[in-house]
Amino acid sequence: MLELVDLSKKFKQMDAVKNLNMFIEKGEIIGLLGPNGAGKSTAISMLSSLIEPTKGDVRFQNKSMIKHPAPLRKVIGVVPQEIALYEDLTAEENMRFFGRIYRLRGTQLKKKIDEVLEQIGLTDRRKDIVKTFSGGMKRRLNIGVAMLHDPEIIIMDEPTVGIDPQSRNYILETVKRLNKEKQMTVLYTSHYMEEVEFLCDRIYIMDKGNLIASGTKDEIKRILSAEKTISIQAERWNDEFIEELKQNPTVNRVTVGEKEITVIIPKEVNMFSAIIRMAENADMELHSVDVQTPTLEDVFLHLTGRALRD
Amino acid sequence: MIGQIVKKQALILLRNPIQILLLVGLPIILIAILSTALGGMMMGGGSPNIHVKVALVEHGDEEEEIQRFLGELEDEGMPREAIKEMETGIEQMAPVSMLKDEVFGSEEAREFVELHEVEATELTEIWDDNSYTAVVEVPENFTYESLEYLVLNHNSQPVLEVSQNDEQQIGPMIVNEILTQFQEQLTLGAFLQKNGIEQGAIQVDEGIFTGEALTLDQENPIGSQEYYAVGMTVMNVLFIASTIGTIAFMEKKIHVFDRIILGNVSRWEYFIGVLLSGTLFSFIHLLIVYGFSWIVYGVKWPNLLSFFTVTASLAIAIGGIAVLLTAISYRFNSEMITNFFSGIVVTLMAVLGGSFFPIGDSSAFIQMLGNLTPNGAGMSSYLMILRGDDIGEISHHVLFLVLFAATSIIIAAISFPKRGRAV
Ligand SMILES: Nc1ncnc2c1ncn2[C@@H]1O[C@H](COP(=O)(O)OP(=O)(O)O)[C@@H](O)[C@H]1O
Ligand SMILES: [Mg+2]
Repeated sequence: MLELVDLSKKFKQMDAVKNLNMFIEKGEIIGLLGPNGAGKSTAISMLSSLIEPTKGDVRFQNKSMIKHPAPLRKVIGVVPQEIALYEDLTAEENMRFFGRIYRLRGTQLKKKIDEVLEQIGLTDRRKDIVKTFSGGMKRRLNIGVAMLHDPEIIIMDEPTVGIDPQSRNYILETVKRLNKEKQMTVLYTSHYMEEVEFLCDRIYIMDKGNLIASGTKDEIKRILSAEKTISIQAERWNDEFIEELKQNPTVNRVTVGEKEITVIIPKEVNMFSAIIRMAENADMELHSVDVQTPTLEDVFLHLTGRALRD
Repeated sequence: MIGQIVKKQALILLRNPIQILLLVGLPIILIAILSTALGGMMMGGGSPNIHVKVALVEHGDEEEEIQRFLGELEDEGMPREAIKEMETGIEQMAPVSMLKDEVFGSEEAREFVELHEVEATELTEIWDDNSYTAVVEVPENFTYESLEYLVLNHNSQPVLEVSQNDEQQIGPMIVNEILTQFQEQLTLGAFLQKNGIEQGAIQVDEGIFTGEALTLDQENPIGSQEYYAVGMTVMNVLFIASTIGTIAFMEKKIHVFDRIILGNVSRWEYFIGVLLSGTLFSFIHLLIVYGFSWIVYGVKWPNLLSFFTVTASLAIAIGGIAVLLTAISYRFNSEMITNFFSGIVVTLMAVLGGSFFPIGDSSAFIQMLGNLTPNGAGMSSYLMILRGDDIGEISHHVLFLVLFAATSIIIAAISFPKRGRAV
């Protein structure tokens, strides 16, 4: 029902989003994953008609929304990455203002406010000024304000940034529940792998403005199906050891972290004993060597050579 | 929708009591401080900024009129001896000479009054010369009738014709005060004369240039409290524009503006919401501060229709500034313009507009510049209303304010960014 076609945005010389193709069907939870600066927010701003794309199209029910976005705006609820609320007003005053912006009034508005406050768990704080809220409460209200007009599609841009684990779980559960109970379609943007793994049916992965992978969780993980990941932990690294790993012809990729070296090798190769021998040769004490099943993090690592979160 | 936006701006403003206190409390305090601290200086002889140029035209001939008066005494059968004796006293009483030498020519007055004696033929030129504060015309037979009044108790006291330059603010007050003193002096002279007191005993009062000003004609006097009530109010109302501009830019910065746009509210509705908030809050601000000045300082408005006309026009002009600041800060995605306005421009405009001292009285050019600021035009109109001028005489200032508002709104509308540019 919603489709992005070759969507691109250039800021001066910088390509923030390049030829993004994406579709969202009714009732899905779609994940848009990527590190900071990948172009997720830019993509969402174009999708929701806040900025005009340099190139490409946003299509809703097979109609272009670039010139006349009003029908799209009616059915989407956008949760911006920033807390877009009036800090000096109360939760209820914020909701009433934004509800009026969406042309709700009277008892209908009142009922809707009560309902949403209940959903985001802020009923007993409705008369409090937003300034006094915790980060998690503000995030919840930020979401609630986008739900007042009963949007068919809710678009969330990193809705859990900078909050405590409880609030985060609460938000994740709420999103899942809204999807289940109200068949709400969700586009969920995050740089947290585990959130996207938990919530989403289909996932798009972006990096540096490019779409680097897309599909269901399983499809994406299958990118790694021919490979496996070995994680090596040691007190300190020895250059000789790293060099020998890199030189080994069967190794596809070596990534050196602070406490951990990740080695990607073909699935059929058994390198366990070889690694232990290399460590002995280099006079290096190992803490552990684990063979892991792939995660989305590994997929990202595989595709870009960088960790998702630096 | 526009109403919702205005209502919400008001709510945000009300939630910031410190802001309100600064907007409303500050001018009230400043009026008190400035009118007591600077009031004396403003009216006193010490101020170098006050320079009053007065033209004096004699339509008659004082010497001839004195001779005619003496001749008449003789005709009425007064003994020659007695007339001879009176002659010296009468020479001393010659009102025009007294005005020139003892009143305008006194040491205090000379510090800031420049008296030009001109011929009646030069009058047309002087009317066009804005540097003159007042023109004093001595009608024919003024001396003659004054002497009749003073010595013979005839008729009533003749009057000087005084025309004032309404564009200047303090100058006319000073001239009026001087002339009032003069008139009182003459009346006192008559009193003394009648009671047989020696004319030489009369001295021009040394203290006439301090204290409250009085005017000669029926118009109202302006005191320092009134002056500063107007000056501080028109300056402070400018901050409403920057306050609204700041709130509006905050809405962009925290992406609330995005939410409003996503609600299918056109950016023009938002634009008009900002304009109306600026106008409405300025109007309310002016009413509150003037209301306070009325209760606390007794600043009363003789003509409410004129007062509301000027107040409404000034409020629209401030609304125009508010929406202009908003549009520019949206366009450049920076609050700098608003901060520059509240930090520097307001002060400059306040000085030019005469909020701190009547800067325009010293130069016609500065006066013109001052009247080209909305606060200055507002101030000139308010002072004219207080002086008793009617609405026709302030219409050019009102017209300027409305044009200023229209220009600001048009420039704002042109610079307000289109969708997609507002990133
Ligand atoms: N208004 C803008 N002007 C210039 N560059 C921008 C602008 N907005 C975003 N960018 C750049 O575009 C890239 C993508 O940004 P963004 O979409 O915010 O990434 P993400 O949301 O994935 O963290 C970043 O390099 C960012 O600096
Ligand atoms: Mg982002």
